[in-house]
Amino acid sequence: MAPVVVAEDVHERYGDTVALDGVSLAVEAGEVFALIGPNGAGKTTLTRCLTGTRTPDGGRVELLGDPPADAAKERLGLLPQDFDPPDRLTARELVAYYAGLYDDARDPADLLRTVGMDPAVDTWYGDLSGGEQRRTCVAASLANDPDVLFVDEPTTGIDPAGRRALWDVFEDLADAGTTVFLTTHYMAEAERLADRVGLLADGALVATGTPADLIADYGGEQYLAVETDADAASLPDLGYEVTRAGDELRVVGVPPEAIGDVAAELDANGVPFDALSWTEPDLEDVYLRLAEDPSAAETDDVEVVA
Amino acid sequence: MSRSSRVVAEARAAYKSFVRRRVAVFFTFFFPILLIVIFAGLVRTGGGGTGLFSQPPGYYVPAYLAVVVLFTPLSRVGSEVARFREGNRFEKLAASPMRRWEWLVAQTAVNTALIALACAALLALLAATGAQFRLSPWLVPFVLTGSVLFCGIGAVLGALADSQDGAITASNGVALPLLFLSNTFLSPASLPAWFRPVTDLSPLSYFAYGVRAATYPGNHAGWPGSVGADYAVLCVLAVVAFALGAWLIPWTER
Repeated sequence: MAPVVVAEDVHERYGDTVALDGVSLAVEAGEVFALIGPNGAGKTTLTRCLTGTRTPDGGRVELLGDPPADAAKERLGLLPQDFDPPDRLTARELVAYYAGLYDDARDPADLLRTVGMDPAVDTWYGDLSGGEQRRTCVAASLANDPDVLFVDEPTTGIDPAGRRALWDVFEDLADAGTTVFLTTHYMAEAERLADRVGLLADGALVATGTPADLIADYGGEQYLAVETDADAASLPDLGYEVTRAGDELRVVGVPPEAIGDVAAELDANGVPFDALSWTEPDLEDVYLRLAEDPSAAETDDVEVVA
Repeated sequence: MSRSSRVVAEARAAYKSFVRRRVAVFFTFFFPILLIVIFAGLVRTGGGGTGLFSQPPGYYVPAYLAVVVLFTPLSRVGSEVARFREGNRFEKLAASPMRRWEWLVAQTAVNTALIALACAALLALLAATGAQFRLSPWLVPFVLTGSVLFCGIGAVLGALADSQDGAITASNGVALPLLFLSNTFLSPASLPAWFRPVTDLSPLSYFAYGVRAATYPGNHAGWPGSVGADYAVLCVLAVVAFALGAWLIPWTER
């Protein structure tokens, strides 16, 4: 199946600042692709180039098989970053407004129920809570039942419960076959929702892959943190590398089933400790490593697209 | 069908947003009425000479109407363009089937309807103050076309300004000189002879010339010399301003 979103060697500058530096990617139909990266990495610029609201300086972009400007807008959904819709409309009026832009739109009340909002509530958008506002915006972006949905930081500024409610909405969309292109600062969001994750740093797409592959290749090893004042050198031979990090010693590479053995060994050798905690690497570790040192990606075997 | 439904959806949202903003409603309807109460009711115009308010009250019908026809679309459409850009609303609309000129049609339709309503109220109030003027059918096309013209210019200002505040400042900066130098509150005779041709460069002059000639017979001044010709010029300017405004709307970043 042909990809529905394609970028090939996309370049973009703002004056002297390089916003995108030869970005290439392809998103398949039905895929959830999460774009992560530091502030100013170029995520929103790339999203705008892909949706046709910005024309890149160079490279090729395709959306649903056409240049974005000619793409079938009836099949496209967008929730822009920092979207601020008219605040004197109720949630239902707002969704009805955006639904009115399409020939074949979903019922506004049904859309609001989809995102967990009560369509009967007669509150102006400006008076809704932050979470309700974002849910209303997501509902508005679904008005045309899009085949491809771009959501730029959709859960920024809302509480964990509201965030999880929106994650459920995006998961349902993905299950129904909607292609979702998500940009986010929340690694847990990307890890939970995305089939593939792309990391953008300094305008370059450093690496893409499944969350599991990226974690395996760049996340580092699992470790057991031992809160103790003891020196690493005073520990018995545990069979693992031991390093100090702040007020804890890290026993690197300990699998969960070996935690008991390590604890018993520490006790047996009289090493005092206050607590043990086992940590598994996640996407945040990948992010921190690659965003800080993008060149680290170039020597690994995960798909490198920069 | 779909194009008209998009315009209707946009216009409906714009109308609701407008009527729920008390300040916007005040400045559209009550501010001009306040002007009439002060100048036509309390100050009592018509003292003779060539200064401000030296003509009979009926002479100033185009001036009072111009307050609405000029200020409302300039400030409202200008700030609305800035508001849509700042809230990334244009970015969202650009990803929908809506086109930028459809958006401006919707905004213009709402403004024009509100302006027509406000003008009707102004005329009724003026009549109540005893001002002598003719209720000419020309008033309708002049008010409607003038609204389109200044909605287009408002869109241009909103597109060029860098913020909502900037758009409002720019619209006031443009509207105030236009209002007083377009043969509205000041008669041409009160201006220096060398300056009078400059007033013909103001689009509002053709509104003022035409409306005055239609409502206050025997007082046509300036080029081109007839109500129909004034209206023709106004139409050409309205088309140009609307097209330019639609073209400049920051629908996409570039």
